[in-house]
Amino acid sequence: MDAPHAVGITGLGTFLGQRLAERISARGIRVIGLDVRRPYRIAEKIRFQRIDLTEPTADARLAELLARERVDTVLHAAFRAQPSANREIDHELETIGSLHVMNACAAAKVSRLVFASSTMLYGPWPDNPNFLTEDHPLRGHPDAHQVADRVEAERLLSRFGRRHPDVEVTVLRHCWIMGPSYLDHVVAYFERPVVATLLGYDPLLQFVHEEDCLRAYERALLEPHPGVYNVVGKGVWPLSTLLRLAGKRSLALPPPLLYRMGDYPSKAQTGDAPSGFYDYLRYLWVAAGERGWAAFGEPEYSTKEAWISFVSSRRMRRYR
Amino acid sequence: MSDERRPTPPIAGDERRATPPIAGDERQQTLRELDAALEDLRVEIRSRFGGPTTRAEAKTEIDWFELFEELRRRAGAFGIVERSGEVDDFGADDVVLARTRPVWDFLQDRWWRIDVHGIENLPDAGPCLLVANRSGLLPYDGIMISHAIEREHPAHPLPRFLVADWLITLPFMQPYLARIGGVRAARENAERLLERGHFVVAFPEGQKGAAKLFRERYRLQRFGRGGVIRLARDTGAPLVPVAVIGAEEVHPVLFKAHTVARSLGLPFVPVTPTFPWLGPAGFLPLPSKWTIRFGRPLDLGGLGGDAVEDELLISRLNEELRREIQTMVDDGVRSRPSVWG
Repeated sequence: MDAPHAVGITGLGTFLGQRLAERISARGIRVIGLDVRRPYRIAEKIRFQRIDLTEPTADARLAELLARERVDTVLHAAFRAQPSANREIDHELETIGSLHVMNACAAAKVSRLVFASSTMLYGPWPDNPNFLTEDHPLRGHPDAHQVADRVEAERLLSRFGRRHPDVEVTVLRHCWIMGPSYLDHVVAYFERPVVATLLGYDPLLQFVHEEDCLRAYERALLEPHPGVYNVVGKGVWPLSTLLRLAGKRSLALPPPLLYRMGDYPSKAQTGDAPSGFYDYLRYLWVAAGERGWAAFGEPEYSTKEAWISFVSSRRMRRYR
Repeated sequence: MSDERRPTPPIAGDERRATPPIAGDERQQTLRELDAALEDLRVEIRSRFGGPTTRAEAKTEIDWFELFEELRRRAGAFGIVERSGEVDDFGADDVVLARTRPVWDFLQDRWWRIDVHGIENLPDAGPCLLVANRSGLLPYDGIMISHAIEREHPAHPLPRFLVADWLITLPFMQPYLARIGGVRAARENAERLLERGHFVVAFPEGQKGAAKLFRERYRLQRFGRGGVIRLARDTGAPLVPVAVIGAEEVHPVLFKAHTVARSLGLPFVPVTPTFPWLGPAGFLPLPSKWTIRFGRPLDLGGLGGDAVEDELLISRLNEELRREIQTMVDDGVRSRPSVWG
């Protein structure tokens, strides 16, 4: 199968879901958007269907819906932009919801499933190599429940891929997205007036610009690219340099002090235990992008340019 | 190559990495014009608001705000590492490297008076895998091998040295080692570096080599599980043995405080004649006399055939490599007049 006839997108309200729905339908391909509620301002052409992936019978309903609409390609992007404080609900949505989507795809004989994942799933570990390839095990982080749920979802997905070889499964692991309009808990962290960092650590970070990320997803939906791909920008930058360029005030705190805030997730504003977030600013978890670049084309923005695009759009740099 | 110390060549690394001057005459002219226009504007503004009209007048009274800003800027910059911000994929920063080069020059020429032998055994261009004996707690040997190659090799490459996990994850150590060219010792990293044609300095002894006691000095530990041989086989990089003599006396470890290490959660806590007795001064390396010898590339012919036979051959070659370096080290130790040279 080459170009799809009808594309089903779960998580229409998310950044990826909404933007890709608009891009795909602009190409004259029928798009069926699925979410718990109708997103604000969505193009007329996109058919919206309400579905709650956390319901126990969501798989049967979704399968029926996909079959009725003759959907042949599904993008699963129903993941939270910010982990909520409620671990159980997040687990229901991200792990069990993904399972429902997989089962529905199998039942509705969908021929292509594109799965939105993240390089965060590799986890920040002191023994990571400088560049993590797609074959590296997904170790996640024990204190980051969102990451753990998605690691489990990917494990279920690889089992699904083995059982249903007729379904073309594409997994795109994108790193932290930066751009003028993207917003999630990582961006929120960088938008704070004073950014907390870890004393004595200055990890290399990488970003992907939202345009490059969307382009990779679009090509994964339109062309056959079975397999796992990292979607990252070129080049790495130290955290301290990024913050200096943004003109941000940063506060370097000793790690034990920062992690002691574990009882106050609302203070850490990450929805996870602070260690589950700040370890990502402590150890390396940079992914190798060669396979993704070969499949989806060279990115137009490097890590630096993605960051500058984000900073300039937020007017974070104080005028001097 | 003669034993006498070679004169310090002009630091060609600097020259190589320096950006070509972009400012032409035209640009200079524009800048001057811009300056003049700005000065006119300043005079204009000052005359309207009743301030001093020329710069000379302005100097007569102290601009407190300016002074405060200047002090604040200086205080803010105090102790902060100057960085270009541009790092390569493995985190090395050209500005930091240029700034630390005089320090390494000092250590090489004055502190340890390092003699470098056999630089002609290195290939003219990368990739090249250098395998050395590990000694000392801090990665001075890796830094000095890299620096010696950068200075003495005709192509002035920037070799990358591999650093043990426990060292590169320490706070403050991690960003600094990465900026000066250290890379975490992982097979994936070494492979990637060699594929890109870098010189890579590896220490297959690992932590065993760094943590050995003074009475075990110059006795090479087991060379891992043949990782370096496999690496050279898979990347096709020539494998050059390197012997570092003198680095063992830099931090002579008398014994290891096991109980203290366990309670602090560290892999080991060394006790040297100066550490921890003299506090931070105990970190100061002793000025022993160093020699760095580069041997002939190891012949890896016969590898790449049958997988089972390959395994046996790898462990044999691994041991051969270890013995080769041990012989080079022994020769060096025997031929030096004293530890202090």
